[in-house]
Amino acid sequence: MTMFHAQLKNELWKLFGKKRTYIGFGAFLLAQTAMLLAFKYTRWQSDFERLLNGNGYLATEFISVLTVSVVMLIPQIMLLMPLYATLVGGDLVAKEAEDGTLRMILSRPISRLRLLFVKWSAGIVFAVVLVVALGLTALGFASLLFPWKGMFVFSPGQAFSVLSAHEGLMRFIFSHLFLAVNASVMVSVAFMFSCFNMKPAAATILALSFLFVSMVMENIPFFDRYENWFITHHFKCWLLIFLDPAPWSQICQSEIILFAVSATAFVIGAMAFQVRDIKS
Amino acid sequence: MIELRQVVKVFSGRTAVDELSFTVPRGEIFGLLGHNGAGKSTAIGMMLGQVWPTRGEVKVCGHDVASNRRAALMKVGAIFETPVFYDYLSGARNLEILSTYTAPTPKARLAEVIDWVGLTGREHSKVRTYSHGMRSRLALAQALLPKPELLILDEPSDGLDPEGIHEMRQTILRLQRELGLTILLSSHLLNEVEQLCTRIAVLQSGKKVFEGSVADVKAARGKVALKTPDFKKAAAWLLERGLITATEQEKFITLAADRSTAEIIRALITADIAVEGIWQHEQTVEDFYLSLINRQR
Repeated sequence: MTMFHAQLKNELWKLFGKKRTYIGFGAFLLAQTAMLLAFKYTRWQSDFERLLNGNGYLATEFISVLTVSVVMLIPQIMLLMPLYATLVGGDLVAKEAEDGTLRMILSRPISRLRLLFVKWSAGIVFAVVLVVALGLTALGFASLLFPWKGMFVFSPGQAFSVLSAHEGLMRFIFSHLFLAVNASVMVSVAFMFSCFNMKPAAATILALSFLFVSMVMENIPFFDRYENWFITHHFKCWLLIFLDPAPWSQICQSEIILFAVSATAFVIGAMAFQVRDIKS
Repeated sequence: MIELRQVVKVFSGRTAVDELSFTVPRGEIFGLLGHNGAGKSTAIGMMLGQVWPTRGEVKVCGHDVASNRRAALMKVGAIFETPVFYDYLSGARNLEILSTYTAPTPKARLAEVIDWVGLTGREHSKVRTYSHGMRSRLALAQALLPKPELLILDEPSDGLDPEGIHEMRQTILRLQRELGLTILLSSHLLNEVEQLCTRIAVLQSGKKVFEGSVADVKAARGKVALKTPDFKKAAAWLLERGLITATEQEKFITLAADRSTAEIIRALITADIAVEGIWQHEQTVEDFYLSLINRQR
């Protein structure tokens, strides 16, 4: 095992050994339970059926595990995922600096850049695990109350799509790759702030503010023509996967921008961390 | 093993370390003394590449820390004032994590250092269940993991009870005796420094105000204890004749240059002042430190 793998493994031990890492997972479980029950037992389901019937589809064929899973995912990804991804991203460096363990690590011959890369990689692993857990639990919970049938995806202004169960499942799985990129970008932005000399909570709040300001501005009609400049606009490309045919050029453009944002956040964070004095 | 040359560190306009230079040769236990905020921890931070010097050169194990940190720190272990670990993990897991920041460390080496510091049997307990003393021992274990040649100890006895302080002191001596380590010790406990160190440097407001051997400090000539029925009369007589330069606590006299205790005795007997006792006072590091700091003020 190379040193990088050993360091990454140990970074993951640190990350997943902490209770606060699991706050996001717990919150998603609660939110999914609440949303599932709300969908099943309120007007939400009947409104959805009306929308399907109004567009000439047989609602009973499309109110399914996959449809309900996506219905549950959309608000969680918009509101909860940024919160929990930035919570962990903001902790990655700042929490160790606050606790004093960073000073102990940096009395060892590891370079600051390598240490940051290991930490950032652990953050990306967390982002992927969070998204996978989110998708699996959404499917699991939905399958308790709904049958496996066709899939219907609707997001105003983004997607209106009807797919077979098999095709829907394939795209549902594929969309999680893009959701993982979204979560990674959220972690990276918080990680960047975490590299500066600040408390972990401040890093999380700054990252959340950055994301929410982007989301608010993107939704102001005046900024319609500038939507490509807002990071949250590109987060929505995971929904485009469900369109038939999928707009690949738009999806690729968004992914390239998201990768660039992630890399830029890492570079800025690394530069800030490199020149910092680490004191008790 | 450590070489600081004209090192300056300025934090937002405030000079924390000012033109600091000293050398710690191999095999020595070197004490770094100074009040809170004197610049000791900043100097240690610069030795470990945690704080970047504004000017000057810091070399550890023959390598410049700023340009070749990896080589400089390869054989260095460090302990800081409050031992902090990942409390939610076991002691052994903490050591495993920290070891990967230096080089691959075999399990046998982990077991060896755990045994050396006396944590065998508790290494799989979570660190949050450890006492302060056990945490200090774990801190020592992590410092010993890379088989260091140089150990940097920043207030290692901070927060320990008297028994813990004694244990830490014995451990430091054992480290030097059995492993032949060079040790840089920053401490407020002057008694500890006196018992452990071969040489000391004293910092005040970022500047070095003294560097020398502990033996020299203790044998500092000139301060003599004088026992006589009338100390005031004797002191006044000696001062008048220029044989001494100062008195202290109605107990000590400071001899003038080139004067000996024999001359003092002769002079007092001539003046018909009884001498019940006179002896060279062995100065403690604490006496020396306090008088040095007071002089600087």
